[in-house]
Order: sequence, then structure tokens, then C-alpha cells
Amino acid sequence: MKVVVLGCGSMGSVHANAYSRMPDVTLAGVCDTNASLAQRLALQAGTEHYESFEHMMDTVQPDVISVALPTPYHKEYVLKAAERGCHVICEKPIAPTAEDAEEMIQACRKHGVRLFIGHVVRFFPEYSDAAKRARSGAIGNVGVVHAKRIGSHPGDVIPWYADRAASGGVIMDLMIHDIDYMRGLFGDVKSVYALNRTGPSIDYALVTLRFRDHPAIVHLEGHWGYPGPFTTAVEMAGSSGVVRFDSSLSRSLHVQQSAAAAALKAVEVPRSPSYRNPYEVELSHFIACIRSGEEAAVTAEDAKKAVEIAIAAKKSASIGQPVLLEREHGEEQ
Amino acid sequence: MKMKMKMNKEQVTVGLISFAHGHAYSYAKAISGRSDVVIAGFWDDHAERSRGVEEQLGMRGFDSLQALLAEDIDAVIVCSENAKHASFTRAAAAAGKHVLCEKPLGLSISEMEGMIRVCEDNGVQLMTAFPCRYIPAVEEAKKAIDRGDIGEILAIRGTNRGTMPGGWFVDPALSGGGAVLDHTVHVMDLMNWFVQSEVKDVYAEAGTLFHPELEVEDAGMVHVRFANGVVASLDPSWSRPRSFPTWGDVTMEIIGTDGIISIDAFNQKSEVYADPATKAQWFYWGDDMDAGLLDAFITAIRSGAAVPITGTDGLKSAAVALAALESARKGTPIRLEGN
Repeated sequence: MKVVVLGCGSMGSVHANAYSRMPDVTLAGVCDTNASLAQRLALQAGTEHYESFEHMMDTVQPDVISVALPTPYHKEYVLKAAERGCHVICEKPIAPTAEDAEEMIQACRKHGVRLFIGHVVRFFPEYSDAAKRARSGAIGNVGVVHAKRIGSHPGDVIPWYADRAASGGVIMDLMIHDIDYMRGLFGDVKSVYALNRTGPSIDYALVTLRFRDHPAIVHLEGHWGYPGPFTTAVEMAGSSGVVRFDSSLSRSLHVQQSAAAAALKAVEVPRSPSYRNPYEVELSHFIACIRSGEEAAVTAEDAKKAVEIAIAAKKSASIGQPVLLEREHGEEQ
Repeated sequence: MKMKMKMNKEQVTVGLISFAHGHAYSYAKAISGRSDVVIAGFWDDHAERSRGVEEQLGMRGFDSLQALLAEDIDAVIVCSENAKHASFTRAAAAAGKHVLCEKPLGLSISEMEGMIRVCEDNGVQLMTAFPCRYIPAVEEAKKAIDRGDIGEILAIRGTNRGTMPGGWFVDPALSGGGAVLDHTVHVMDLMNWFVQSEVKDVYAEAGTLFHPELEVEDAGMVHVRFANGVVASLDPSWSRPRSFPTWGDVTMEIIGTDGIISIDAFNQKSEVYADPATKAQWFYWGDDMDAGLLDAFITAIRSGAAVPITGTDGLKSAAVALAALESARKGTPIRLEGN
């Protein structure tokens, strides 16, 4: 199976390196309009580099393409790839609007190709384990849930993130991971209430979700501009127990170098090494789904619904009112 | 207004009204060792509880509220069920006694305004029992905020999660509400104290999700918007199961333009793993906030200075909790009018 990667930024690198390690997949090319980025990644991942999407697609004739471009470009290139009969694995969020997402889903359906969206949090071991324990009934009926996802502002390093219209801000780009995870656990969302403050290099959001078929109250915290290390946490409180994890408390390795400390420059980054790379698990799963024709653990439809919820949250924050999500046409009342 | 405030007394004589709220025991302990406090005794409308207090604390029990208030006491501490705060505060104020009242101050805005007014009219002080202001980490956070260490506050995320208390707390006729009323007010008061602006808008979700047999809510999420733009959320749920290592928490993440302050108020703890308990247990060894609260009250009454946490502070915080309950019922945000 021949795979190519479009976009050689941080996510494109993750995809390319993951593919390069998969035994049953050939990474046949990487592409970026920034030639030096493409060249560097190609060298690293042991593949060809391209500056033109068309050139790469004509030359390689890939079976699968990973689209790791800024969100506003997802639709254009997903549609182009679909027209060429190429399966698509696209980074999250699927698109800036639910309409664009629907167009992408329809186009892929029409051209008979699969479309997967990289909601990788479902594949992180701490998230899948917490979900498994909550689903098993170990904590009784889940009542109140908190999730946290906080880190530095990507717009400080990668300019398009700072453009809120392009990235969608912290709710659309970062918190959408937790939105999708919670939808996976508790089903479709009924109402959203959100608070959002922004400033130079800060985007902070608090979002509360209620669900159609589950009574849980879910509260999400998302923060771009957090001065500490990137941190994620989940707590689910149920009628007979609590399950939780906090990445700042579950680090399994600390390396503290005297010289670095003395230089007061490199602050120790705590790590939690694992043989399982969640991105590799996710991409392998998508590749396996292409081979088998099976439904993925997270679908493009799920990704579209996460975008709808994120948009509702942004609307709620701006109007100061809860936003109710409509049932889909044809859905059971 | 008659002012009885100038005192500068060597000793303050205190009476306790009701031990319905367990904090009464802790407050009594906080003042019992003080050389500047005389405890005249207590009155409790529950005969059995009254006998227990007499036996356990060796404190003189009075037969009636009137009998207690007829004593030459300076101040009372009201730790009754929420629904009785107003009548006991009014009776004490009418008898010329300063009042330290357990939270939530009252069950309606008009009730609390009445309590504040009757205390003013009688020249006595009304203090709301918000001991969380006397947690060292909270005091340090307040100083850091006031110094501008994190710039301007943008948002706050708080939790005051707890264990379902049972008893009168879950009887709506006596409590006025469940977790949202019980556990919103402490951290809300801290938010008011830190932000120094008025809450304009309250939106809340609530439900009975952990103990379906209850007549009151045990789960909630309260959201507020302040006039100065600060936004905040607060989880007041009784969501700690029996297996949890401790009763609950008080946490705050304060997001500023130039930094973050994180408070985990009871994180100064021993973690104990002991077979007889068959569960992990966390024991707080930090400073006693109730002692700080009572010290502030007694010191203010002794010196004639204004109490640091007023009835109005109690009203402002309880108003958010009451609005949260209304919001959860109606499914819409509630605007707070001119408090």
C-alpha cells in the first residue's frame, strides 16, 4: 500500500515517521510548498519529496494520502484526492464548518474512497483506559466529568494558529479532541454552554456539555497560552467511584541535568515514554480499516459532529446563552 | 444607625445557636482555648443534639433562645439549618448581639437583605462564615493577585467537590437546596474577593446524578460572568464517593494575562494506606482555617473594627447559588440585578 503525506509541519512529520515504520506500508512521498521542510522530512523518513501536490499524485499514484495541512486547506485537498480515487486520512478538525465537512464526506463517498479524521485522543492509552473503566460500570453511573487540555500557544511558533479565523481558536483546534472523546463516551450532545477569553497569546475556554441520552454534566477546559508544560487530564465521577488521570502526575521519567539546571535555560520536560505511539496506533487502525472495509473507531461523521459542537460552543461564548444542537434529519425523535 | 461597635474589650462573651451544622463543633473548638473569649453557652432546638453537645463539650445548654439571648453576651454564632439562619440572626440582632452566621447566609435575596438591615438597625455586626479566606494558600494567592503577579484576571476555574452530607442538608425544607447551594458559596466568595467586580450573569447545569433517591440536586456546574469581563466556572457537586481518599476539595485555577495561579487548598496532606480502612486516606495537616475565621471575628468584635467578611459578602455569594438553581430549572442564564 502506497501512502503519501501532504504538509510537512509537525503533524505531517508525525504521519510520515509513523508510516515509515509500518512494515506493510510504503511511504512513497511527502509534499510541502516549503521545499526545505519537504526535503528535510523526506530525508528523515526515507522517501521522496515534492513541492507540488499534482506532481506527487501523478508520479506516485498513491493508495492513501495523509492531509496534514492547516485546517482551511483540508477541504480543497481532500476533494482533489478523492477525485483521484485516493483514500484520505486528514488531520483534525475535519473542516472549519459542518457544511465543508459534509461536502468532504459526500465527495469521498461519491468517489468510493474512505475518509478518516485524526482524532488521535481516542487512541491514547490513558484515554482509552479511562473510557474502558467508565464503560465497564466500575464507577457506577457517570455524573460529572472534567477534562483539561492546556499548553503553550501554537500561534507563538506557527503563525496560522494565531489567526483565529484560520485555526478556529482553542475550542476548534485543541478542545475538539475532548469534545470528540466525550461524544464517543456519552453520545450526541444536546446543549453547549461556553466561556472564552482571548488576548495576546492567550485563548482560554471553559465549555459545558449535556447529552441527549446520558445525564452526565461534562466540563472541558482548553488553554492556549498556559505557561507550564503541556498537560491533559480527565476525571469522571460516578455514583460509586471516580476514575481519573492527570498527565502532570503520571509522568514515568524525569531526567534532570545538572549542567542544564545551572545554565537556567533548559527546563526539564517530564516525559512518559511508551512503546505504543498513539499516532501510529491510530494510523495503523485507519490503514487496517481501508484493507478490511470495516468502520473505524472514529469516523468522519464523528469528526463533523465534533465540529458542530465546537461551533456551537464558540457561538455560546459570544452570545452568552446556551446553544441547543438540533437533531439530524431522519434521526429518531 | 446605633453603633455598638466600639468595644475594645478584654474579653468577648459568645453564645452558640444550634449545632445542626457540624462546623459548630469546629468553631466552638476554635474559640474554647482563647483567653479573650468566654463561651456563655449554647441553645439548640434539637433536644437530643443538645444533650450530646452538653456531654461532649461540657458546655452550658440554655432551655430557650430567649434565655441565651437574655445573657450578657456580645456575640452569637449561628450554625443552624440554612432555613433558620434568618430568624435566629434577627432574634440575636434584636437582642443587640453581633452575629457570625454559617453559610449560605439565607435562602432568598429579600431574606438576606432583611438580615443585613436588622443588624444595621440594631448596631451589631453580621459576618458570614467563609473560612476558606483563611487558608494560607488562598491568602497568598490574594496577595499575588493584588500585587499584579499574573496581570489582569481573565478567567477562573474552581471546584468545591464534596461528599453527600445527608441529614438536613438533603431536606429541601431545611436546606433550601442541595450541592449547588451548599458548595457554590465558598469558592464563589473567593472569586468575588479575587475579582473585585460584580457577577452579572449566572448559568448553571444541575441534576441528581449520584444519589437518585435525593430530593435535592447533588451535581452541578455553575458559570458566572463578571461586569469586568472575567468569566468563571465552579463545580459544587457532591461527587466524592465513599471510596475516595478524602471528603472533597477546594481548587482554583486563576488565569491571568501574565500567568496562572493554581490553588489546591487541602493538598497539604498525609497519604495513608492502612489495611483496616481498606481504602487510601488523605489527612490534611495544613493550618486550621476555622481558627483563622474565628480569630478574625473575635478580633473585630473585641476591637470594634468592621468584620472582614460581611453580610453583604454572604448575600453576594448566595445570590449566585440561588441564581444557579433558578438557571438550572429554566435552562437560561439569570441576570443578577444590582447586588
